[in-house]
Amino acid sequence: MNKTTRKKTTKKTTRPAVKSAAAPAKVRVATMWLSGCSGCHMSFLDLDERLVDLAKLIDILFSPIVDTKVKDMPQVDVGIVEGCVNNTDQEHELRMLRDRCKILIALGDCACTGNIPALRNQFPLKDCLARAYEQAESNRISCIPNDPVVPKLYPKARPLQEVVKVDLHIPGCPPDADVIWYALTELLAGRMPQWNEKNLRYD
Amino acid sequence: MTATKKISLTINGKVCAGKPGQTILEIARANKIDIPTLCYLKGLTPWGGCRLCIVEIEGSPKVVPSCTTPAMDGSKIITDSPRLQGLRKATLELLFSERNHFCPMCPYNKGDCGLQHQGYLHGINNVRYQYLYPAMPVDLTAKYFGIDHNRCILCGRCVRTCDEIEGVHTLDVAYRGIRNRIVVDMLKKFSESETCTSCGACVANCPTGAFFDKAAAFRGPLASCQQVLTTCTECPLGCGLKVFVKENRIVNVWGDPDSPVNRGHLCVKGRYETWAEPRERITQPLLRGKDGKLKPATWDNAIAAIRKAAKDAKKTEKALLVAPRVTNETAQTITKFTGKVDRLAMYVTANEAALCSDPSFSADAMRKLEDADAIIVIGAQPSRDHGVVAARIRTTVRKREAKLLVFHARKSDLDQYATIGAHEVSLDHQFWDQVAAALAGAQRPAIVYGANAMTPIGVTVLERLIKIFEGHPGGQEPALIGLPVGTNSLALAATGIEAIEDVGPWLDAKPLKFLHIVASDAPDGGAGMLEEKYVPGLLDEIPCVVVQAGYRSALTDKAAVVLPATIWCEKSGTITSLEGRRLSLRPVLPVSGEAREDAAILESVFA
Repeated sequence: MNKTTRKKTTKKTTRPAVKSAAAPAKVRVATMWLSGCSGCHMSFLDLDERLVDLAKLIDILFSPIVDTKVKDMPQVDVGIVEGCVNNTDQEHELRMLRDRCKILIALGDCACTGNIPALRNQFPLKDCLARAYEQAESNRISCIPNDPVVPKLYPKARPLQEVVKVDLHIPGCPPDADVIWYALTELLAGRMPQWNEKNLRYD
Repeated sequence: MTATKKISLTINGKVCAGKPGQTILEIARANKIDIPTLCYLKGLTPWGGCRLCIVEIEGSPKVVPSCTTPAMDGSKIITDSPRLQGLRKATLELLFSERNHFCPMCPYNKGDCGLQHQGYLHGINNVRYQYLYPAMPVDLTAKYFGIDHNRCILCGRCVRTCDEIEGVHTLDVAYRGIRNRIVVDMLKKFSESETCTSCGACVANCPTGAFFDKAAAFRGPLASCQQVLTTCTECPLGCGLKVFVKENRIVNVWGDPDSPVNRGHLCVKGRYETWAEPRERITQPLLRGKDGKLKPATWDNAIAAIRKAAKDAKKTEKALLVAPRVTNETAQTITKFTGKVDRLAMYVTANEAALCSDPSFSADAMRKLEDADAIIVIGAQPSRDHGVVAARIRTTVRKREAKLLVFHARKSDLDQYATIGAHEVSLDHQFWDQVAAALAGAQRPAIVYGANAMTPIGVTVLERLIKIFEGHPGGQEPALIGLPVGTNSLALAATGIEAIEDVGPWLDAKPLKFLHIVASDAPDGGAGMLEEKYVPGLLDEIPCVVVQAGYRSALTDKAAVVLPATIWCEKSGTITSLEGRRLSLRPVLPVSGEAREDAAILESVFA
């Protein structure tokens, strides 16, 4: 399974070479929001004026924070994922992105460790569902959603690397904008970011 | 082989000297070479559990934990190499993946969480192992702290602290392998524990958020707080306190590790009761109105009312009553005004007046207790009144195999370690032969006596013991350690203030028209005296009772005028501990409301 996925990746991501040095092709980026709070995307937006510089270097083609409507997820160079994998639909999306990107970045603690969505991992799934849909004080009708359209929850929330290969982890809840800037600029310069006590935060 | 006095070894190419028997870690740290550790804590027995302190020894294929490996003369040690880095990283990743270490919602970010810090130092941005997400319990039943097993790394620092510093061994490790966890009293909850003294040392020594103080939870890292060193005024031992303050609020209280008295240890009174306990502060003067209710007043009005009442009373109708916890400086001020009142006294607990009648300080009491090979407790309850003394007795008895004899009417947890625990003192020869047999051969005995040793029975016991020791050839004279209950009662007695146990007869001696009570920051606001028969009635008969206190109590409710006094964290000045040390109090917080120092209040009332 894994082998076929990898082959596909290399085949699909082959793009025409950069045409001229004067206008280098921008790095194509997709971002994705799985089981997370969107805080990591907010932190990305906290790059503030650096976003203008970044926009000269990258194109965000697919993201919950861009307006462009696309029918299908395009081929990209870098996929950035916030949140962990909680249900069938999220796993499908994540696998699709993995197939269509060269470098996959797990952004934030949920994507790296499971973090808050994984707090439910201590409890059986049916207890979690019962607590949310049957016993919650705000519920007027107690009914666990069972429509086939609704994605099925997995028994455990999983960090990305338990589902697909992840190339870079940026921890933090959320990662500081400076850390995101550091990681992205290093990647754009063709280097892997180096982690130490100055740029690491788990909280 | 002859024992060498010094050994020398090479660590990372640097020649380091040490003593035989020292571990590699100790010598490395003494030579400013840092080796990462999690389970090691200076002062506790090395455990070798976390495996972060591993080092390579040249010529050996194995890596060894430096905290438990004795250094060998001439060996060559490497503390950092790609191999060690890799192993340490893997160890940390295993620790992270084993339980639910979710940093963002840690209740108690100590600012320097050992696990988090080591993760940062080792550049861990990702854990390669599968997270286990085990279902772990959380025990919040203790009054002041909780344990969250999700964050525990089983370093055993709490277990060793509980055993070796507090000496009660409430905490231990149970189960094996992945089920291994810290337990309280053989699988009890904290609330059900019979041995836990709530000293909180486990919390202070936990390197992660597994143990956390409830009152400090979610109040931000201690590293971001200002630290103020002051002295605990809850008992006459005078433990050093390190108070963490942020935005004029106390975030946490720890023992001062550099204090020669407690060396960082505290009891529940010093660590928690002074700040984590809800107590109603008095922040402005209160004056009893015509309707009989206490109403807020200005300082000027309150003082004017007091002066008027004092003017109406003759000198023989005025009295001043002091709590035995005021500072030495306040005591100086009080003695200035002796001539202005008929009677001046401090109120102490039962039988304590006899201790104060001939105030003697027990120099170096804590060190003597530690060195003793036989400890005799007479008429004192250190477990209740002097927690750190009790901890020192327990550790000396349990770890240094000193003998313990307890002569006290009430049972306490010390009885279980005692060779002889006598609740009723018998005078027959057989019993005293047993005592003499138990003390035979004691070279460095220490007698700890409390207020109840001053009863006729207590004095008999003391005399008999001293007779036993007189018969000892070669042994030292027993170190006598007196344990008063009042924080500063010995020093106050030394300045000539009379100590009284029964307030009733003292009040009743001559009719009074004006009584000024300096309750200071006593936790009960001085209300203890109301429990005495006739005292409430006698107080009601006095037209003007002035109480200066930090906290509201039944006593302040009886007063005609209540004056707000500063409390322990706002005071400055000195107290004299039972060891005779003159210890400084430093203000930790700004004075709340219109409270004033005890001495300043007395000046404005009597001057």
